[in-house]
Amino acid sequence: MKKKKVQWFWSWVIGSVILRLILLYFPKNLNLSSRPEVSTPLTSLRRLAEGYWLKQSSVSPYAGSMYHGSPLLLTLLGPLTVTRVEGQPDHLLCSLVFVIADVICAMLIRAAGEKLQVAYSSRLQFLGLHNLSENSELLPSGDFAALVYLWNPFTIVACVGLSTSAIENLMVVLSLYGACSRLTPLAAFGWVMATHLSLYPAILIIPVILLLGYGPDAPPRKLFWQRKNLDVGNSTSSDSCSEEEAKNQLKMAHVFSWRLVVLFLFWTLLWSSYVLVLCGIYVQQYGGLQELFKRTYGFILTIQDLSPNIGVLWYFFAEVFDFFRNFFLIVFHGNILLMIAPLALRLNHRPCFLAFVYILISSMLKSYPSVGDSALYLGLLGLFAYELKDMQFSFFLFSGYVGVSLLSPVMHNLWIWRGTGNANFYFATAIAYACFQIILVVESVSAMLNHDRMLTKLYTAKLQNVKS
Amino acid sequence: MGANENNSAKPRARPIVRLGIFLISHSNIVSVVCFTAGVVALLLLPILAKNTYISENALMPGSANNMLSTHHVSDANKFIKDLTDLEFRSGSSPIESQKLIAHYMSALDAEVTFHKFYPQFNHFHPLHFFTSPDSDIISENATCSSFGINTFGIIRAPRGDGKEAIVLVTPYNPNKVGLGEALSLGIAYSVFSLLSHVTWLAKDIVWLVADSQYGEYSAVAAWLREYQAPAFRRVDIVNSETCNESSTFNELGQDLYLDGKLYGGFRRAGTMAAALVIKVAEQGNQYEDSLNIYAEASNGQMPNLDLINIVNYLAVHKQGLRIKVKKMWSLLGSKWLNTLGVIFESLGRIARSLNPQWKFGIPATEYVEGAATLASSLYYQGLGVPTGPHGAFRDYQVDAITLEISPKVSLTKMIRRNEFILRGGRLIEGVIRSINNLLEKFHQSFFLYLLTSPSKFVSVGVYMISFALLVAPLPIVAAYLHSNASNSTPQNTSALEVDASHKSWKWLNSARKVLVIHLWGVVVSLLPFFLCQVPNTTPTTNFILWGSLSASSLLILYLILGSPIFEAAVSLHEKNKWASLKSVTISTAFIGLSLMSVINFATAEIGALLIVPICLLARPLKLDTQARSWRTLLRASCNLALGFIGFPPVAFVLLKGAFEDFYGINVSDYWNWLESLWAWNSATYLYIGVVHLPCWALCINILFHPC
Repeated sequence: MKKKKVQWFWSWVIGSVILRLILLYFPKNLNLSSRPEVSTPLTSLRRLAEGYWLKQSSVSPYAGSMYHGSPLLLTLLGPLTVTRVEGQPDHLLCSLVFVIADVICAMLIRAAGEKLQVAYSSRLQFLGLHNLSENSELLPSGDFAALVYLWNPFTIVACVGLSTSAIENLMVVLSLYGACSRLTPLAAFGWVMATHLSLYPAILIIPVILLLGYGPDAPPRKLFWQRKNLDVGNSTSSDSCSEEEAKNQLKMAHVFSWRLVVLFLFWTLLWSSYVLVLCGIYVQQYGGLQELFKRTYGFILTIQDLSPNIGVLWYFFAEVFDFFRNFFLIVFHGNILLMIAPLALRLNHRPCFLAFVYILISSMLKSYPSVGDSALYLGLLGLFAYELKDMQFSFFLFSGYVGVSLLSPVMHNLWIWRGTGNANFYFATAIAYACFQIILVVESVSAMLNHDRMLTKLYTAKLQNVKS
Repeated sequence: MGANENNSAKPRARPIVRLGIFLISHSNIVSVVCFTAGVVALLLLPILAKNTYISENALMPGSANNMLSTHHVSDANKFIKDLTDLEFRSGSSPIESQKLIAHYMSALDAEVTFHKFYPQFNHFHPLHFFTSPDSDIISENATCSSFGINTFGIIRAPRGDGKEAIVLVTPYNPNKVGLGEALSLGIAYSVFSLLSHVTWLAKDIVWLVADSQYGEYSAVAAWLREYQAPAFRRVDIVNSETCNESSTFNELGQDLYLDGKLYGGFRRAGTMAAALVIKVAEQGNQYEDSLNIYAEASNGQMPNLDLINIVNYLAVHKQGLRIKVKKMWSLLGSKWLNTLGVIFESLGRIARSLNPQWKFGIPATEYVEGAATLASSLYYQGLGVPTGPHGAFRDYQVDAITLEISPKVSLTKMIRRNEFILRGGRLIEGVIRSINNLLEKFHQSFFLYLLTSPSKFVSVGVYMISFALLVAPLPIVAAYLHSNASNSTPQNTSALEVDASHKSWKWLNSARKVLVIHLWGVVVSLLPFFLCQVPNTTPTTNFILWGSLSASSLLILYLILGSPIFEAAVSLHEKNKWASLKSVTISTAFIGLSLMSVINFATAEIGALLIVPICLLARPLKLDTQARSWRTLLRASCNLALGFIGFPPVAFVLLKGAFEDFYGINVSDYWNWLESLWAWNSATYLYIGVVHLPCWALCINILFHPC
């Protein structure tokens, strides 16, 4: 069976890079880096430059509530913010770093997609659903997802708008790729860095462990049990070689490989202590790690900055009475945690998809969301192109995303510059955006479950045929 | 219908879902009903207009007696006389008159400053549409030789803290002072001389005499830019270095510096509460003294309605001026509008006979007047070009209007002139006194409204209804077409299983096409930017060049679209392709119109009237002609006619012909019109290029779809 690829894949990739480079030459005119949709207090490069400048003048980089990111980013990107190339736009080097990060991220998504696809079609083969397996190979979902990630206007805007979310996304994808290809150090590194940079990816530890334990996404595990029973029933027909392979497959699908998980945890421990030591050295004169945690994670969790963004929390916490504030902080963050367990139970046979759902939910409920987060989950959505082909309301969602992303800057203009609107106008688009994200979660999960049901139905029908 | 079958098969959907399915399955009727209702609602707007009222209580217009007396008027007369004498004196440079004004201002104990500026002509900047009004505007083309000098004086308020100010603007051309301009200066001077010694003043008064030799707007805009966002950038330094400070400007200050009354640097008062631009029209109105109000700023923004209300109230009730806003004169005599007015009037009478409390009928003449005013209000807001120098203030969120006072008879007679100045001055005094009471910014009344007469308005809540009804069919029809297209998958699944299974994503092909056409729209709207770089071209050649370049770029895009890169996912469902293309087109039109309604309502309303019918009706002509029933043929001809009307240049020519006349229209008019739009950074230009034109092209594509 010939494997179909997206034609002209590399020219598309190069095209996206060229588009970014062209857009980088209009930083003043586009003015993207000051848009609230693109740069949040956590991801803005201007704040990072400020933090670096403070650090250079021997002040704590966290002084004055300007910078709230990681010290490691300061050491990496800080020197690049002050180097100027004559005659070129400011921050050119930083933006090149972001472009490279985007491309690497896309490549990792592609590689992970290929791994997922190979594993998935072999599982389907194993179940005897050859027809479906061929179909799933027809759609090069890895290439597709990579191109979606690279050409998504959100990704391009976040990259050109000098938001550090490109690097955060890279770390998340790195961890997923490492888990897919069973490279525990890589997975652990990605997870630790992603958590260190933006805290919310911490919940991805569940999908990563599942991914390492059970292997990549597969049809429901129940089907393999049935297959096993069937094999026990009539283990005479097939020849020994394929039998052996089948046994292996079966093992893969069932046995939770504790070894890898323990390795992963060990590496996690190693990497996190390494990161903490590095950070500790960096901030030791400025209050130590405690101050660091207060200024980064504390800033994320207590939502101190109420400047408008595309999320819904800023408006809510601007309105809420002060003495209820702590209560609602717990409620809103509990919201994310609340959904972890049920989803993990229901989707444990599809860890990658689970990771996608987690990312989507956290980017909807996080305290300082930006379009960079949406770029990540929309890119990952492409990985499940085959499974989600029957997703409902796809066109509606597409139009909604287009409409909201155009309407949001206009409402912002109406509120801030023209003065004829008010905060409610802008918040309305934020609510609409959140609604579309909710619909996306609901529809994608239900499409995935429907796909599983379809598999079960086909498989039981096949079993009936075999038995009769 | 697929949706209905599904519905009956399933046990019972929720009521809201059933309602949605009902609407979608009856989309034809719904769209006809909604569209006609939208048009009717638009025609009803003059009847639904409410009387204006002063919303902010603090304003209290007309509660104090006027203090402007004949004494001030005679001062003003002396000022006017000096100014006009200067004109007749031979060999006097334009600087002299500015000196004179500054001298008179400083005699009133005002802080006088000159502001030298290089006029910036409007240039097309494709990326500057929605950025902030920042000071980054590049002034490369400013030449050293051409500069203007604004003179402005500030009276500090005895009771104020210097944090707020009211601005009076009188544009005048120092090279040629006409009687009208001299009179407007005189009115401003009389008010200024009164305000220099009153005790109740709580806000500083700034009187700006804008040098209008390079246009009124650019002078006021330059002054505002300096006031609000002073630039400390390289361009300025270069300017002052290369053009060594012209001697005239220095000489200007000499006399006053000796007096010790000219202040160096750029003096400022506080934030501006409001601004009034005062003009006097040269030729009079036959019947009585009248006052024209111009309020539209860029992109259809209006000043707060309260500002217009106080001017209206004071002019009508205190000074007995006849107040006017712009009207579409051609509509006043139109027969159909008159008939409509009569019908509405009789309907109103019938309604009142049924229940005396229903009072919605208005006399037919009033209806026609209201409709004409409404049409002009819509047109000037939709154009997005400011109607006067007041437009510059709106960019800094300052409410401003232009008051153009036109006298009854020629003002050469002295007594008549005195009375005129007294009336005008008292009006301005009253308005200033009222604004002086204001505690906060204008916020109480409406910002989004249409005027149907100086004292009647339609607020956003009312006029949005007609627009919402116009565009409501779009998503419904799109959903109908979309569900139809994705439900009717061919039965022969053996042909291409993958493709058949992708029914939920089939719209991607059409979306790609729509995206390409919209990209073409962006290219077309950027082309004038490059065409302008070509020197020495007439509008006609520009237009022809533009048209041919657009057509060729469309051709190139089509060739790329047909090339193998895009062949990857060609679907076999040619049959339903036009339906899915239409559904995507309609969705983009809906998104575009809704966006535009937020940016500039009037454009969206006019645009919806033009584009919605063709979007709803579009259907391949081949199908219609094959059917050969009178209904399909009628629809095909309707489609052709609407498609013809929808083409932007044709629509422009037709509208121009309808409201003015067809005499002497040529293609260059269209180019000039568009040039004025983009020169003023009007969002309407973007709308035409990026929303209207691509949607029209897609509709034409659907009409000639080979199915």
